[in-house]
Amino acid sequence: MSEHSSSSFRRGTRLFSLTAAAAGLLLVSGCTGGTSAAVNDEYGFATAEQVEGDPITVWVDASREPAVTAFKAAHPDIPIEYETYDGNAGGSGSFQTKIALLDQSGEGWPDVVFSTQQNDATWAARENNGVQAFAAPLNEGYLDQDFLDGFAPGALDPVTVDGTVYGLRNDLAQVVTYYNQKLLTEFGYDVPETWEDYEALGVKLAAEHPGYILGSVGDSWMPYVYYWGAQAPIFQTDGDTFSSDTASDESVEISRILDTLIDNGTLVQDSYFSSTFAETYADKVVALPGPVWYTGAIFQTALQVPAGEIGVGAPLHWEGEEVATGNVGGGIWYASSHSENLDAVETFLEFVTSSDEFQVELSSGYPAYSSAAEGWLAKQADANYFLDGFDEEMISAGASVWDGWGYARFSPETGWATVIVPGLAAGTSIEEMLPAWQEAITNDATVNGYTVK
Amino acid sequence: MTDTRSIVTKAGVDRRGRRRPARLSGASAGGRQTRFGYVFVSGYTLLLLGFGFIPMLYAIYLAFTRNGQFAGLDNFVKVFADYRFLPAVAHVSIYILFWLVSLIVLVVVLALIVHGISARWLSGSIRFLYYIPGAIAGASSVMLWLFILDPTVSPVSWLLKLFGLDSFVQVLALDNLPIIFTVIAFWTGAGGWIVIMYGALNNVPRDVMEAARMDGAGPVNTAWHVQLPMLTKWISYMGIMSLAAGTQLFVEPRILSQASRGVVPENYSLNQLAYLYAFKQNDFSGSAAISLILLIVALGLSTIFILKGKLFERE
Amino acid sequence: MSDTQTTSRRQLSAPPPPVTGPRSRRGTETTPRQWIARAFVAAVLIGFAAFFILPIIWLILSPTKTARELLLSAPFSIGSLDQLAANWNSLMAFQDGIFLTWLGNSTLYSFGALVITLIVSIPAGYALALVEFRGRRVLLLTTLIVMLVPNTALVLPIFLELSALRLLGTPLAVILPFSFFPFGVYLTYIYFSTAVSKDLLNAARIDGAGELRVFAQIAMPLATPVIALVGFFNFVGNWNNYFLPFLMVGGDKVPVQVGLANMLSVVPQFNPTTSGSVVIELPTLALATLLSVAPVLLIFLFSQRFLVEGMTAGGTKE
Repeated sequence: MSEHSSSSFRRGTRLFSLTAAAAGLLLVSGCTGGTSAAVNDEYGFATAEQVEGDPITVWVDASREPAVTAFKAAHPDIPIEYETYDGNAGGSGSFQTKIALLDQSGEGWPDVVFSTQQNDATWAARENNGVQAFAAPLNEGYLDQDFLDGFAPGALDPVTVDGTVYGLRNDLAQVVTYYNQKLLTEFGYDVPETWEDYEALGVKLAAEHPGYILGSVGDSWMPYVYYWGAQAPIFQTDGDTFSSDTASDESVEISRILDTLIDNGTLVQDSYFSSTFAETYADKVVALPGPVWYTGAIFQTALQVPAGEIGVGAPLHWEGEEVATGNVGGGIWYASSHSENLDAVETFLEFVTSSDEFQVELSSGYPAYSSAAEGWLAKQADANYFLDGFDEEMISAGASVWDGWGYARFSPETGWATVIVPGLAAGTSIEEMLPAWQEAITNDATVNGYTVK
Repeated sequence: MTDTRSIVTKAGVDRRGRRRPARLSGASAGGRQTRFGYVFVSGYTLLLLGFGFIPMLYAIYLAFTRNGQFAGLDNFVKVFADYRFLPAVAHVSIYILFWLVSLIVLVVVLALIVHGISARWLSGSIRFLYYIPGAIAGASSVMLWLFILDPTVSPVSWLLKLFGLDSFVQVLALDNLPIIFTVIAFWTGAGGWIVIMYGALNNVPRDVMEAARMDGAGPVNTAWHVQLPMLTKWISYMGIMSLAAGTQLFVEPRILSQASRGVVPENYSLNQLAYLYAFKQNDFSGSAAISLILLIVALGLSTIFILKGKLFERE
Repeated sequence: MSDTQTTSRRQLSAPPPPVTGPRSRRGTETTPRQWIARAFVAAVLIGFAAFFILPIIWLILSPTKTARELLLSAPFSIGSLDQLAANWNSLMAFQDGIFLTWLGNSTLYSFGALVITLIVSIPAGYALALVEFRGRRVLLLTTLIVMLVPNTALVLPIFLELSALRLLGTPLAVILPFSFFPFGVYLTYIYFSTAVSKDLLNAARIDGAGELRVFAQIAMPLATPVIALVGFFNFVGNWNNYFLPFLMVGGDKVPVQVGLANMLSVVPQFNPTTSGSVVIELPTLALATLLSVAPVLLIFLFSQRFLVEGMTAGGTKE
């Protein structure tokens, strides 16, 4: 038996050393060994070796596929390949996941990526595990400053880190006030202009016309609509420092207003996409604050409000203060710092963000590039859904997004969905839940590497 | 009339009626068997090394290092201190309890019942019907559960309202989740296991069943004293696989998280936490630490099944 | 098979053939107790059938409705065939029929992996159960341990390996990991160790049969059920796998599961803030789901017979 055991021992050690060697190979291939290449002065960052005519790879979601097709038609000489993915939808993190793996293997990055989320610059603009930041800086010599100036004011805030711009905004989602003129005239009310007006309107509605509502709080993006619009400092970042103060005046006040309206029934908890909302409230919406994409998704599809009834007004703000509004969405295009054909990437980026062929003709979102936005608004005016004057309101709202809201590696929607929504369903008021909400947000901040102030 | 087939027992009886030792020993026969043994397992061993063993070693390496430097137990400490860790442990533990008990008990009972059906078409159809949900996985079922669990639109809204749940958000309250996940996992997983157990039951020799019948045993007694003991290995295998699936709870919470647009947290289970560490916080070492913890727990619990189910023994 | 031998012998000697199940034992009357037992059994079976099937029926009826109808009308109401056609067109129009490409990819990956899996797993399980060789237990133990490792931990190393081999983005990057199926090896091991007698094989060995012959001529014919089982579960597991193909390939090489997730991202319900110009409604998604599930169900239907055959011959006493 001993001979068996000794030979099996030898065999065992041999097998072990073999696997250890293989594992070692794996380690070596996995080590990317920190690229400390010299900064290319022309572009402002360390570029990979440029190969003229190298086909560029673009990752888009299904809705942005027409952009690539339009680009191919407009620039047939530039070789371009594309892959569709889920667009990083709903915080799926696909973008970050794939880049994380590609960083580890040290090769295979795409040249351009479109993401539907706004906070990717928080990880894409920094070095990760020793690998150069994926997103290429755009305003340090790469793109023309004139071009960058053509975006709406504040549109590039989500991708600006320490003054450096890392991506281009595809569309804006500024919050405006929608109102149903037909109902307002019928009831004899005015369009609400301030948060105080909004509350007063709600109180009047509940007393005189119960059953009519001013919106819903059941969806996860409500913090952007109400708290961002109220300039409440509950989500603020400064580099790697994070702070949230749900006890601040604005925050408490807007929560109080929301609680009042929830209690008297003018704000409901059913999601805009739920069957209850479609069944019960379709024709009972008097006014509501919401982003510009409510047009298609909510009014025309979910609620099916006929044309000519809805008007667009200035965003709700505090009485006596300047107009500031929130923002709920807007995709971003990123260029890869590892790209080997940065010229083609530049042409592509400028095309997809500012060209009429895509942004005006094919895109359904409000373009972030000002000239394209005007064309888009003209097209909407032709469709005659809204009452006159909506375009000016949208443009001015687009320039009034409050810049005090932070972009972080995590989202405030999580806290709202896991704390506030269930709490409301159980009957607790938002004001009571404010400390718990703040704790959820700051906990999220801590695990994501922020120092909470 | 005899042929070369013999009984399934420890000590066989060969053609000449002499007792044979259970294992064939002898240098030449053993050597040849050994050689061919290696040939037979070679393909699988390659895949095992490439996609199982070496990655596991790499994960262990990651768990004890940080950015290439040895870090001892730092990663584990960091993970334990994470405010999401203990709740996730609690969630997974409760879920495993519900899941294992319901799966093993119900699958065995259902398999026994289905096996007892004499009409072949009926038995086959029922097995098919029970299996269908197993074909729907992951992304496909997000939309399904979005509707099923919403009392306002669900086909089983009467059942939900019976429990006093009137809205989607109420159904997804944190306390209800272990039960919901068990239901979902059972719904998708039971059919497959019933098919396997059914096949295992078919391996119970007819004469043994007939002997029991002759002795006057009713269906329950037959099941308990005859069929179940012969299923031990299969049941313990099912136990281990379900344990593995349970500790690695990931798909169901993710589905519901998507369907509810965030009301179900994305860090509900430990495996989800490991995913977040790796792909959201870019901390592959922390992720590997969590995975290692999960592995050790699963291994520990599995030894119970292995020992009680004599999984490694051959007759 | 020995079936005919058994039954013919039985017919010569005794009353009705033995059946394992609740049946009347003597005489033709069933006692009230047995009726209650039968009713109970029937209730259980039907109850569980409803549990498993009701959601499926709802899913099947969904593509016949519009999105609004899905939300507002009764769950089991039937829409119209016209709407079904409209949803079908919508599905096919999505990215110019990429759905069919996804289905094709899934088929390629799953069948490719199936072939390799069967070739490597069945002999391995057989050897683990019925062949003496050193390292048998080590292999079993390693297999078990690896099966318990959360796959989150394995993803990065596998990605690195495939990247180093330059296979990323090719079908092999999906097929090879898919072919690693320890669950199947264990199934085969258990099957062979419980259902085939070692003495049977030893007898053959004594008679001078080589290992290959023993495997090919004695073990393999008895292995139909387990081949079907392993093949089926491997195929289905791979067909339904999302995470691995998501990481290994992209674009139009993705299988249908990843494709469905991409489709989900343009359903306004789940992703309202994308302001997408391409919109897929829920009934269309339901249709896509059903179509992606159909191949699995078809294969199950056809292979059920083999899956549960069990072992009526070989190893049982005459």
